[in-house]
Amino acid sequence: MASRGVISYETPLSKAFRWFSAVFIGFYVIWTVLPIFVMFVSSFKDLLEAFKLPAVGDWAGITVFFEFSPTFKHYYELFANLGFSTYLFNSLVAAGGSAVISVVLGSMAAYSLSRIDFRGKNDLFFWIISTRMAPVVAVMVPLYWIFRELGLVGTLPGLILAYTTFNLPFAIWILKGFFDNVPYAIEEAQMVDGATRLQAFRAILPLVAPGIGAFVVLCILFAWNDYLFAAIIGSGGAKTLPAATRELVQPQNIQWGQIMAAGVVTTLPMMFLGLVIRKYLVTGLTMGAVKE
Amino acid sequence: MTTSRASAELFRVRHIPDSVESRPVPLAIKEPASINPKASKAYYFWLMTPAIAVLAFISIYPFFWMIYMSLHEVDIGKVEWNNFANFTRLANDTRFIQGWWLLIQYSAMCLFLQIVIGVFIAVALNGSRYEKVLVTTLLMPMMMAPLVAGMVWYFLYNGTFGWYHWILQSVGILGPRSILASSSTAMIGIVLVDVWQWTPLITLITLAGLKRVPQDQLEANMVDGASPIRNFVSVTLPNLYPVLLIAIMLRFMDNFRFIDSVLVLTGGGPGNSTKILPVYLFEVSFKFFKLGRGAAIALTLLVVTIILGLILVKVFDRQQPKKG
Repeated sequence: MASRGVISYETPLSKAFRWFSAVFIGFYVIWTVLPIFVMFVSSFKDLLEAFKLPAVGDWAGITVFFEFSPTFKHYYELFANLGFSTYLFNSLVAAGGSAVISVVLGSMAAYSLSRIDFRGKNDLFFWIISTRMAPVVAVMVPLYWIFRELGLVGTLPGLILAYTTFNLPFAIWILKGFFDNVPYAIEEAQMVDGATRLQAFRAILPLVAPGIGAFVVLCILFAWNDYLFAAIIGSGGAKTLPAATRELVQPQNIQWGQIMAAGVVTTLPMMFLGLVIRKYLVTGLTMGAVKE
Repeated sequence: MTTSRASAELFRVRHIPDSVESRPVPLAIKEPASINPKASKAYYFWLMTPAIAVLAFISIYPFFWMIYMSLHEVDIGKVEWNNFANFTRLANDTRFIQGWWLLIQYSAMCLFLQIVIGVFIAVALNGSRYEKVLVTTLLMPMMMAPLVAGMVWYFLYNGTFGWYHWILQSVGILGPRSILASSSTAMIGIVLVDVWQWTPLITLITLAGLKRVPQDQLEANMVDGASPIRNFVSVTLPNLYPVLLIAIMLRFMDNFRFIDSVLVLTGGGPGNSTKILPVYLFEVSFKFFKLGRGAAIALTLLVVTIILGLILVKVFDRQQPKKG
């Protein structure tokens, strides 16, 4: 078969594969976007319009979906009467606070861990990553008890501390990989010039700044999207957006328009942030194991 | 000297070592810290102390509390020793055993679908003209709070006004009952939501792995007459294997970690058909407030996670060659 030309890769089989994959990707993109699209559109629909469906099997009736007069009343309702501005503020403080604490403490620890060796270092690492991987529900059982004794349940500091349980190990783990890539020679040169160790540390910070910034954003994202801690540790005084959204579901009279609007308010900023840190996303979401 | 100037001059120092002598040297210079390893070690330890202390307070301290609680009957204002009753009860607790079984089923189904679809999409997208745009589109579900995702899907699945229900009904797969309403299909319902949200992660990881597949090897094989399928199986897949292993481990652990969408979609029902272990744990601890029993269940979950974590760290180590 040596005479088979290298250029003739367009066999019927490969052509079929190409068509099949194009169609599959098309369907996949629709399936990915559709729920988000429905959420956006439904948040502008009046209650009755959101419930309109064509008869079963009536494919031409899909146009019903677009028959509505857009209204902003759900958004207005959320912020004017349902106190969502408070919840938005709580979300911002809880997510931002834990992200900043985690990354500041985390970068100090990560830097040290990347610069020295000592006995038990691997065990320390294992402890750090298993703290990050521990199921939130399991962690919450003792944490809830401790926080109740300390009066932290239902307060923003409590929630910030709770989010730090997964953000701090994440920050240490991932930033260590970043500091490992900065050669020690840079600090050495600094110190030869008379800089103190702390000044040398500050001098290499600009080199890792983009990564640190991206992981602050990622920490915010993890905390912002959390529901379990918010529902239990934050219940009462420190309700965040996801917890508040969940509470819109009443046994009777579910306000879908408001729920969808709350979903948009929760989702939109994070999608934007996700795009901003696109470059670091895979590294962050795989705990640094995979780099793009 | 200011740090900004120092960092600007860094690279010159590195490349032309002679220039060190020609620079102004502060008068009150101490001996470089790096020649005193003992002192420098102490410095680094102090630098990591705050983080370690905080982490100990929110992980080790609660861990001992968890063990303590699991051995006691814990109620509001009362903690009583109860002779390992929490654990002996677990042995006869059908919902506990069923919870584990359902969790394994749930994770296995999610992973299987995510890997198959995710890898296929990645292979089909790799090198395509639309790769960038499409990948950005696929990112969107991952940025969504799992709770919100659950809400939106709950809406779509709804038996009277949900669009996905309407589609499934029109195609003839489902009757008038919603997918979440009957115990035989509810599990599929919650699996689909996880697949929707996290398949893109597998696609992204696979795309990153595909960039590392040696192209010359593929071409050489092609010249030798290997079919694209043969090429995929014997060159591409072995190269993808390590990243896929990481993806599998991470998703597996996340299925243990996140139950937000399940709580919204079914809350464990109908019957107990979707009461995967973390949901059961949530119910025992925070609905019935049996924190002692909850701690015992949580301990089993934690032990399994730690074992998985040990495997994960091994995989990580193999991924990253040791740096000097």
